[in-house]
Amino acid sequence: MANSQVADHTIRPGPRFAHLEATDAARLHELKSQLGQCEFALVSLFVSPAADFATVVEQAQRVFVDTLVIACTTAGEIGVRGYTDDSIAAVAYPAADFTVAPLLIDDLTTFDPQDVASRLIQTRHRLAHSTSDKPHEFAFLVIDGMSLREDSVMAALEPGLGSTPLFGGSAGDGRAFQTTQVALDGQVIGNAAVLAVIRSRGPIKVFSHDHLRPSDVKMVVTGADPDMRRVRRINAAPAGSEYARILGLDPAQLDTFTFAAHPVVVQIGGRHHVRSIQRVTPEGDLLFFSAIDEGAVLTVATSENMVAKLDAELAALRTVQTPTLVLACDCLLRRMEAEQKQIARDVSSVMSAHEVVGFSTYGEQLGGMHVNQTMTGVAFYPPIDEASECP
Amino acid sequence: MSLINPSDSLEQQNEKLLEITAALMRRVEQDTNRDGLAYTQFERAALLEDQVRQRTLDLEHTLGLLNDSNDQLAAANTETERARADLAVAIEAVNEGFALFDARDRLVLTNSRFCEQIFDVMADLRPGISFDDYVGLVSSSRYLELPLTESRADWVANRLRYHREPSATLNVRLTGDRWLQISEHRTANDGTVVLQTDISAIIRLEREERTRLIDRQAKMIRATLDHLTQGVCIFDQRTRLVGWNRRVRALLNLPHDTLRVGARVDRLLDELWTEINFDRAETPVELLAWVRKPSGRPPLTFEVGRGDAQTLAVMCQEMPDHGFVISFTDVSNERAAARALANANEMLERRVLERTLELEDAVAAAERANASKTRFVAAASHDLLQPLSAAKLYVAALSGPQAAPADREIVSKAQSALNSVEQIIDSLLDISRLDSGRAQFDVAAVPLNDVLGPLRSEMGPLAQEKGLDLRVLANSASVTTDATFLRRILRNLISNAIRYTERGKVMVGARRRGDDTVRLEVWDTGPGIPEDDQDVIFQEFTRLDARASASEGLGLGLAIVERACVQLGHPLGLTSRVGVGTGFFISVPRARAARPPSGDIPKGTAQYQKPAPLGASGLIVLLVDNDLEFRRAMTLLMEKWGVSVLDVGTAEEALHLLSEIQIAPDAALLDQHLGTGMSGTDLLDVLRDRYGPAPAAILSADRSDALQAHCIQRGVDLISKPVDPMALNALLDKIPASPAT
Repeated sequence: MANSQVADHTIRPGPRFAHLEATDAARLHELKSQLGQCEFALVSLFVSPAADFATVVEQAQRVFVDTLVIACTTAGEIGVRGYTDDSIAAVAYPAADFTVAPLLIDDLTTFDPQDVASRLIQTRHRLAHSTSDKPHEFAFLVIDGMSLREDSVMAALEPGLGSTPLFGGSAGDGRAFQTTQVALDGQVIGNAAVLAVIRSRGPIKVFSHDHLRPSDVKMVVTGADPDMRRVRRINAAPAGSEYARILGLDPAQLDTFTFAAHPVVVQIGGRHHVRSIQRVTPEGDLLFFSAIDEGAVLTVATSENMVAKLDAELAALRTVQTPTLVLACDCLLRRMEAEQKQIARDVSSVMSAHEVVGFSTYGEQLGGMHVNQTMTGVAFYPPIDEASECP
Repeated sequence: MSLINPSDSLEQQNEKLLEITAALMRRVEQDTNRDGLAYTQFERAALLEDQVRQRTLDLEHTLGLLNDSNDQLAAANTETERARADLAVAIEAVNEGFALFDARDRLVLTNSRFCEQIFDVMADLRPGISFDDYVGLVSSSRYLELPLTESRADWVANRLRYHREPSATLNVRLTGDRWLQISEHRTANDGTVVLQTDISAIIRLEREERTRLIDRQAKMIRATLDHLTQGVCIFDQRTRLVGWNRRVRALLNLPHDTLRVGARVDRLLDELWTEINFDRAETPVELLAWVRKPSGRPPLTFEVGRGDAQTLAVMCQEMPDHGFVISFTDVSNERAAARALANANEMLERRVLERTLELEDAVAAAERANASKTRFVAAASHDLLQPLSAAKLYVAALSGPQAAPADREIVSKAQSALNSVEQIIDSLLDISRLDSGRAQFDVAAVPLNDVLGPLRSEMGPLAQEKGLDLRVLANSASVTTDATFLRRILRNLISNAIRYTERGKVMVGARRRGDDTVRLEVWDTGPGIPEDDQDVIFQEFTRLDARASASEGLGLGLAIVERACVQLGHPLGLTSRVGVGTGFFISVPRARAARPPSGDIPKGTAQYQKPAPLGASGLIVLLVDNDLEFRRAMTLLMEKWGVSVLDVGTAEEALHLLSEIQIAPDAALLDQHLGTGMSGTDLLDVLRDRYGPAPAAILSADRSDALQAHCIQRGVDLISKPVDPMALNALLDKIPASPAT
C-alpha cells in the first residue's frame, strides 16, 4: 500500500506523502525512499507521541540532508486510510513546485508581537521576489499544543499576513495532554511555533470545516482564569456542575467524550466558533482548548451528520479541479466524537477517498484565529499549465 | 435549560443574575484585566475574520481586474512601442522628407531627409517647435531662392496661407536650380504631415524637354513654311511681322530690308501699294480696316495682280492669339489656263454649230439622193422590164421549131440570161419596195400547205436537176402572215439551199413551238456557214461562194428574206455547222381559225375521220414501215391532224435521213418487222441512244407475248395492226409541243 502511494506521487506534481507505520527513528530512511529521489523544499513530519521525538528529529535531519524539516507531535496521524496511531507521517514539498521560508517563534511566553509581524512581512516579501514562477502563497503553522498561547501568536501573526491564507495545527500528545513538541531543522524547541511560508506553482485552497450547529441554550462565563483557559464559574455557579446542569448531565460523569459530544461555541459577527473543553479539574473548573474570559456567552452546539458534512465539504474542494493532496489539521475532539459514535471508519473512508492526510490536533489555526473542533487544511491542485497539458 | 437553576432560591437566583450581568457588562466594556487579552484578541480576530474574508474576496477580485488591466496595459504598451518603432522605420523608409505636426501645430517628429536640401535650418528643427517657427526658419534659409517680386515676408505669408488649406502642394525653388515639392496633408486628428520631394531632376528634365520640343517645333514650322508654295507672313496681335517664308519674298519681290521682325503691316502695305493692282477698287480700304481691327476678323480673300503676268490670291486669316497670317498664292498659271480654256470652249462651240449646219445639209442631200435612188430603181426597173419583156418575146420567137439546132442553143441561153435579168430586176424591185417601206402586206391566216405544196412543185425540178433530194413536209397548221412574202421568203431560202448544196438533201418542214408559234425550218446538207459570216450573209450583194455565176443571182435573196421578216415581224434564225449543213428558221404566229384542209381523203381511213386534235398539230413524226401503201395511208391520216410525217421504208434509211437533215423527230412510229434489216425495237434503241428518250410506239401485227414483254421492258407502247386511229391519236396527243424559242 505504501509503495503504491509512492509510485503515485512520483508522477504527480505537488506535495508527496509518505507514511512510516512505526515509531522507530531508525526506519526513517524508509520515508525517504517512499518519497523518491527528489529535491524537497520542505519535509513536514507528524510524529506519534509514542516515538522518541528528539531522536526522530535528529535522525530526520540526517536522512533529509540539507532539507528544511519541520516536525511536531500529534494526537494521532491521518494516513492514506484515514485515522491511525503510532506512526510517522511525512508531507514533502518538491523544490520544483514549492519554495518555503520558515519563521520560528521560539518563546511563546515572551515574544514580541511587533517583531513577529514584521519578520513575517519580510519573509513573505523575500519569498515573493524570488519565486515569480510560483504565484500561489499560503502559510502553515505548527505550534506547541500545550502552550496556551495560540491566540496570542495568531494575534501577532495576523497583521503580517496580508492576503496570505494561514492554517495550522496545535501539536498533540495523544490523549495525555502532557507534553507537545515542535522541531525545526533537527532542533526540538519547547514552547515554540514554526511557521512555514510556502509558495506553490499549483493553486492551493485553504479551508476550515466543522459540523456543529448552535442551539438556543446559552450560558455566561462569570468567573475565569483566562491565562489558564480555566473557567471557574458559569452563570455564577461552579462551572462543571453548571455545564452538567445545563446539559442535563451528571456532574460526576463529565469526561473528554462528554465535551466532544457537547461542544460549546461563541457567536461573533453571525458566525460561531467552537470553544472546546479539554477536561474538568478536580475542583470542578473547566479547562478549555482555547482562549476564554469572563462575560463570554457560550452556546451549546449540536452535532450534525459528521460523515455527510465532511464528504460534502471535501467534495466542494473538487468543484473546479481535483486536488492532488489535502493536508488537514483535524481536531482530536472530532476523532473522539466519531469514535464515540462509531463512525470513525466512515470518516476515515471519506478522508481516504479525498486523499486527506495530516494529523489530529489540540486545536487549529485559521487566519488570525485559534479555533477548535474543526478540520482546517489546504488542498493542493496541479499547476494550471500542466493541468491544461493533461486535462 | 435556562440560565437560572430553578432549584435555587430566588435570592440565589437574583444574586447569580446580578453576577452574570456584571460579567457580561465587563465583557461588553472589555473591562478585563491584562490576563483576558487572549480572548479579546480572539474576539477581535473573529470579528475581523468576516471583514477580512469579504475584503479578501474584494481584493482578489480587484487584483484580478488589476492584473487584467496590467496585462492589457502591457500589451498596449508593447503595441504602442512597436507601432512607434514601425512608424519610425516607415517614415525613415520614405524617400521624401517627412515631418509630422500635431493638432496644436507643434513638430512631433521628422525623418532624416526632412529639410536636407536646406540643411542650414536642420539644426533648429527640434520636436516642439511651432509650424510658424518652421516656416520662419525656412524663409530665412540662404538656400531659399525667391523671385525678385517676392519678399521673404511675402513668402512666409503665402506659405502659411497654404498651410491653412486642408491639403496643399507647392513648389519651392532653391539655389542652384534645385526644386522641392512640398505637400501637406491633414491627419485624422488634425495634425499635419509635411512631405518634401526633391523634384529638381524632374523640373530640369521637363524644362529641357520643353526647350527641345519648342526648338523642334520651331524648326518644323520653319521647314513647313519654307516648303509651302504659298508666301506666308505672320503678324502678332500688334500687327508687327513675326515670321515669313522665303517664298513671300520671291512672290512680292521685296527688298531685303523690308521684311524684318517687328516691321509694321501698314508699312509693308505702303511698300506694296504701288506695285500691285487690286481686283476690286474697294479691296485696299477693306484690307486696311481688316488689319486695324483688334480682333474678331473674319477670313478675307482677294486677288491682286502684279504686272501683266502675275496674279496672286491673297488670304488673310486671324490666329487664336489675335495675330494674323497673310498668305499669297501665285495663281497666274491657273488664271491663264482658265482663260485659255474659256477661249477653247468658245471656239469649240462655234465649230460644233458650223458642223451641225453642214450635217443638216448633208442629211437633206442624202435623203434627197435616197429618194431619187428609190425612185430611180423603181422607175429603172419598170422601164427596164418593158424592153426586157420585148426582148423575151423576140427570143421566144427565135426559138420556134424553125430555128436551126445551133441557133436554138444560142436562143435558149439568151432566154436563160433574160430570165436571170428579170429575176434580178424583180429582186431589186422587192428590195426597193421593202426599203422604202412601201411594201404592201396582206396579213391573214394562211394554211401552210397552201404555201408548202406549190413550193414543192416549183423547187422540186431545180433540186432534181442538181441531183438533190428535196423534201417538203406537209403541215395542216395555219399561220398569220402575208402569203406572198412568206412564199417568197421560203422560196429564197430553198433556192439558196439548193444552190449551195452540192449533194444530199434539202428538207422543209414546220414545227409547233408552244401554243402560239409555228417554226418553219429549211435544212440543207450544204457546206455550212462559219459563225463569223452568219451576219454578213443577210447583206445585199453578198455571196459567200465567189465562184457562183451571175446567173445564179446577185446575192439579193437573203437580203430580201431578212428585210421581209423584219417588216412582217417574223423572227429569223439560223444554225449551221461547217461541213454538215445549215438550217434557217422563221417563227410565224399560229392562226387559230384555219381554213378546212382541202384535198382527197383515202377511202380506207375515212370512217376514222375526226377533227384534228390541236395537241398533236405541228409535230414531226418519224414513220418507218416497209409497206409503202400503209405509209401513205398513215401519212395522209396524220397530216390531217396537223402532223408532219417523215416516212421511210427501212431503219437504215431512217437513220440516214435523220443524220442528214439533223432533225430530231418529236415522235417515232416504228414497224417491228422491217424485212432483212434492223427491227423496230432495235431502231428505237439507236434513236434513244442518239436523240434521247422521245415518245415512240412499235407497230406490229404480231400479238405474241414475247413482243409485248419486249415493249414493256423498253417502256414503249405497242400498237397493233391494223392501226386503231383513236389509239394513235391518243398517243400523239400525249406528246407535249416543244417549247417556243
